Amino acid sequence: MSWQERQSFLGSDSETVLKEKRVLIAGVGGGGSQIGQELAHIGIGHFVLCDFDHYEDKNHNRTVGGTFEDIRKRTLKVQIAKRLILAVNPKADVVTVEDRWQTALPKVRDCDAAFSCVDSYMQRDQLENLCRRYHIPYLDVGMDVHQIENGYALQGQVILSMPGGLCLRCFNFIRPELLELEAQKYGDAGGRPQVIWPNGILASTAVGLFMELVTPWHSGSFAKSVVYDYDGNRHTTTLSPRVAALANTTCEHFSHLDDLGDPFWAPLSETASAKAPRKVGLSASVQRLRAFLNGRR
Amino acid sequence: MKIHLKMLGSQRDAIVRDLLRPHEHAAERVGFVSCRFGNSESSLMVLAHTFHPVLDENYEFDPGVGARMNSGAIRSALQVALSNDVGMFHVHLHDHRGLPGPSGVDWTEWQKFVPNFWHVRPQLPHGALILSRDRLSGWCWYPKRQQPIPIERFSIVGRGMQSWRAVK
Repeated sequence: MSWQERQSFLGSDSETVLKEKRVLIAGVGGGGSQIGQELAHIGIGHFVLCDFDHYEDKNHNRTVGGTFEDIRKRTLKVQIAKRLILAVNPKADVVTVEDRWQTALPKVRDCDAAFSCVDSYMQRDQLENLCRRYHIPYLDVGMDVHQIENGYALQGQVILSMPGGLCLRCFNFIRPELLELEAQKYGDAGGRPQVIWPNGILASTAVGLFMELVTPWHSGSFAKSVVYDYDGNRHTTTLSPRVAALANTTCEHFSHLDDLGDPFWAPLSETASAKAPRKVGLSASVQRLRAFLNGRR
Repeated sequence: MKIHLKMLGSQRDAIVRDLLRPHEHAAERVGFVSCRFGNSESSLMVLAHTFHPVLDENYEFDPGVGARMNSGAIRSALQVALSNDVGMFHVHLHDHRGLPGPSGVDWTEWQKFVPNFWHVRPQLPHGALILSRDRLSGWCWYPKRQQPIPIERFSIVGRGMQSWRAVK
C-alpha cells in the first residue's frame, strides 16, 4: 500500500506526476517551511530551496521544523527545511542554495513552479519576472500585521501568476511607488510582526492552487492567475474582487517577445553546460547585446 | 545535449484548433511556432511564443502528397525569424492520442526547409514539432550541428501541467 493512497483521487498517475515535479521555494521561513513540509507529504520529488538566512530566536514562533538547538547553532534555514522534507520523504531530492535565489538561476529555471515567500516587493517583482521568462507558474505568499484603531489587523494574500495570464502588476500588487518606497527604506525595514497560523493558511492555499494545476481533481479547476485575500481578523480567505474586475483584460507587462527566454541567449559549445556560462559563447553574446542595444536606439 | 520544450496549454489548444480547421484542398494544415531560448542547469529550453498559421492561399497541389505549403509560406516564416529574432519550429498535427512519430515524408520535407532558417538566423535553433491530441514530439536543428536532435522533454504549462519525456 502506498503512503499516497488516500490522495489517489488526484489521478491514477498522480504519484508519478508528483514525484517528477521540481519546485522552487524562495524563502524558507514562516511560509516557505510550511509549504516545503506540505509538498513533502504530498510526494513532490524535487525541491530547490533558497534562503541565505540563519535560524534565530525571532524565527522560532513560526518556522516549522526549527528547534532551540538550531537557534544555538545558528543553523541555516535551508538546512532546517531540507531536514524536515527528508524526514517526511527520504527519497526526495532536495537542493539547497544558501544564498539568494538570484545566485542559482540555472537551477531555478529548471523548476516547474516557484513558491515565493520572500519579504520585499522588489524580490517578488524579480522572481515573477524570471518565472515569466521561462513559463514557470509563480505562487506568492505573504502576510502583514497592521495597527488599527482598536487593535491589529492580520492581512495576507496568495497570488497565482500564470505565464500568459495576469501578473502581480496587473493585480496592482506591485506598483512603482511601492518599489520606490521600499528602496528608500532599504536596510531600515526592521522586524515585521509575523505569526504561525496565517502562514499556515496562506501556505496551504498556495499548495492547493499548485495541486489544482498539476493534478486537477474537478472540472472547475482552472489555470488562470488568481488572487486570494486573507483577512486574519475574520478568519476568511476569499477570491479577490480584483480577479472578476480584470476578467476580460490581458497582461501587458509581459506580452513582448523580449520578456521570454534568456535576454542574450547564445548557443552553448559542444562540451559546455549552463554551470559554466563564462566559458561559452561570449563573443556571440556580446554581438547579440550590441544588436539588441542598437535596435533599442 | 538535452532539450526541453515548454508551451502554454492555451497555446497548444489554440494550435490544435487551428490545425483542425478544414482547408479547401489540403488534407492537413501546418504552421510555425516562433520560439525563444534559455539555458538551464539540465537543458536547452525552447520556449514557445507565437503560432503562425500558414495562410490558406499558401497551400499548393502536389502530385506526391496531395498538398504542401508553397514557397510563400516559407518566405513568410523566414521573415518572422528575421524580424523578430526567433527560432522557428514547423508544426503539424497527427490526429490521434499518444506520442506522434514522423513519417518518411515529414523527414524529407523538414530536411529540405528547416536548415534554411539558418540563412536568416544562423545563431538560433530551429526545428519541427508534431502535435497529437494529447502529446507532442519534436526535433531541433541546433547551430553548427548537421543532424537534428530529438527534443527529450516537453511541458505543457496550464491546467494539468503535463510533462513527459519523448526520449528515454
